[in-house]
Amino acid sequence: MSPVSDLLSGGVHLALPVLLAASGELISERAGVLNLSLEGMMLTGAFASVAGALQSGDATVGVLCGVAAAVLFAALQAVLSVTLRADQVVVGIAANALALGATTYGSRVMLGDDRNATVPSFDELPVPGLSDIPYVGPALFAHTALGYAALALVAVIGLAASRRTGLGLAVDAAGEDAETADRSGLPVRGIRYACVLLAGLTAGLGGAQLALSEVHAFTDNMTAGIGYLAVVAVIAGRWRALPTALACVFFGIAQALQFTAPALGVDLPVAVLVMSPYVIALLAVSGLVGRSRAPACLTVPFARTG
Amino acid sequence: MTAPPRPAAASASAPGPGASRPDADRPDTSRPGTARFSPARLAWLRSPVVLGVPAAAIAAGVAVLLVIGSGATPAEAGQALADGMFGTDYAIGVSFNGVAVLMLIAVGFSVAHRVGLVNVGGEGQLCLGALAGTAVGVKLGDGLPRALGTPLVLAAGFAAGALWAGIAAYLKVRRGTSEVITTLLLNFVGIGLVSLAVHEEALLRQPVTSSETLPQSEPVASSGRLPLLDAATSPATIAIVVAVASALVVAVVLRHTATGLRLKAAGRSAPAARRAGLPVGRLEGGALAVAGGFAGLAGAVLVATAPYVLDEGLSSGYGFAGLVVGLLARGSLTAVAAVALLLGFLVSGGINLQIAAGVPASTVQVAQSVLVVCIAGAMRWTAARPGGGAR
Repeated sequence: MSPVSDLLSGGVHLALPVLLAASGELISERAGVLNLSLEGMMLTGAFASVAGALQSGDATVGVLCGVAAAVLFAALQAVLSVTLRADQVVVGIAANALALGATTYGSRVMLGDDRNATVPSFDELPVPGLSDIPYVGPALFAHTALGYAALALVAVIGLAASRRTGLGLAVDAAGEDAETADRSGLPVRGIRYACVLLAGLTAGLGGAQLALSEVHAFTDNMTAGIGYLAVVAVIAGRWRALPTALACVFFGIAQALQFTAPALGVDLPVAVLVMSPYVIALLAVSGLVGRSRAPACLTVPFARTG
Repeated sequence: MTAPPRPAAASASAPGPGASRPDADRPDTSRPGTARFSPARLAWLRSPVVLGVPAAAIAAGVAVLLVIGSGATPAEAGQALADGMFGTDYAIGVSFNGVAVLMLIAVGFSVAHRVGLVNVGGEGQLCLGALAGTAVGVKLGDGLPRALGTPLVLAAGFAAGALWAGIAAYLKVRRGTSEVITTLLLNFVGIGLVSLAVHEEALLRQPVTSSETLPQSEPVASSGRLPLLDAATSPATIAIVVAVASALVVAVVLRHTATGLRLKAAGRSAPAARRAGLPVGRLEGGALAVAGGFAGLAGAVLVATAPYVLDEGLSSGYGFAGLVVGLLARGSLTAVAAVALLLGFLVSGGINLQIAAGVPASTVQVAQSVLVVCIAGAMRWTAARPGGGAR
């Protein structure tokens, strides 16, 4: 394969976990809840999926464990930021530290003995014919079963919660003008709960995808900031589905540069390549994409007054 | 156990519900609507002490569960923790050095918090400060008097941290980009820059003589190192003095000067401050840069402390722990000192927890974050809104 094809394919593969997480986060932010804890949800999902897969010997069970753990973790964020109306930034950052500490602890205690054991994971299933298309084939048609499922789920979420469906409108109403939405009979808190849990589901799946389809293992802090990239992708994508997805792919390619740069003849220190997605993300949020308007009620908790 | 001492909170503000936040002077007595839960005689229920004790109890409970889960007995673990915190003069000295770093970051956090900004970039600013401190420190001649060399190293750290936070400040003021997101992303870039500098001989890496040469800088020249408080018995440096002095200066500036009042006004209501003619943008930008400066100073302190080298593991979570201290102290600088003392000792004890009792050191991190989660969840109850985020 040519280096360019490698870069593209590697980029899409690395983008997939971020894309998954960002798809749930997009909906959640449109409903008014910022989940900086996305990073922690992904890490929790990655850890629980590996632990589950090792215990049961079945990768699918692992995925279910990962998703369940991440949704539980998201429930913590939901209770704190929706019911208790805590500061979403503080909660998110503390939750990430909690996830990092807990999964590091967990991998010492639970995975200690099986550290070198082979984790039951997913193999790539190239689509015959399609995966041979130059450039596009390896990027789009050579994923694992979990990867295809993830792509399908992202598409379903994107369509079901688009601004043209009742569901999407309800989500936007909760995030743009919670008070009016409440007066018109929408369950604002319910919508927000559902959206945060959805973010947990997709982020957990993203973590599982990273651990079981890409890395085939759990390592301490293996998400290493890509959860934050997912949050930034939503902001850089101006709270719209397609630009957000594009931003994810862009971050994925920036990550893939680490592995393909030598083949492309680019001789840069590893550290530069490792931090490049974050530099790009910084440029993206700092106005390269133009000014954008966040949902009016983003990070503003809702409570009936009077 | 984590609650700020009472006199500090009480002297800083009106007694009553506002006591939990020095700059929230008596909102509840003037506006009955916000005092829904607290008739005046129940106001003590909202004090940070009442909140802190159960939160600390929950965190401690979680820690005990984790200790048991890892196969150690709580007694063993407690012994190991205590030994690591103050078992020997050496342990005490190391703990105090950690406390100083946390305090500096938290002092900076409090400055930005006063204008309503949340600086989550302590880690990156610390990295840049350490980079600049090292760059200056390795160039100093050994003949230079220490009274000149050490301040140079520290000043370089402060300047670099301030500049790093200045990027976020510029974006915040000129483009309206949330400082939370930018400082967060700058952390990763800062960590990357340290890694870059210690891997490239052209930058700060020590000359590579064999395949075993570690990726770290040359040691800071002896004229740039922090003097020890008592060289005979303990590794404690004057870092703790620097930190306490910084806290005092900031406390005085925030409480007793016009600048402090302006910062507070801009933090309470930017539109009102603007209408009163205050340069809100300059205040916000300046406060964020100063916050970065203190984190940078913390980084310079780290490289001016044994083993005097810059390496990739340098920061090891100080940025987050400093943020926790700032959050828990909620603007009171006396509380910053108290909480930094507590967490600094706990973190340094946590390392021994792993060595002596075989309990993962991450136990302390879990307990720390549980504590923050509890405090954040109960924030509404104490009627104190953290400065940033929900605006």
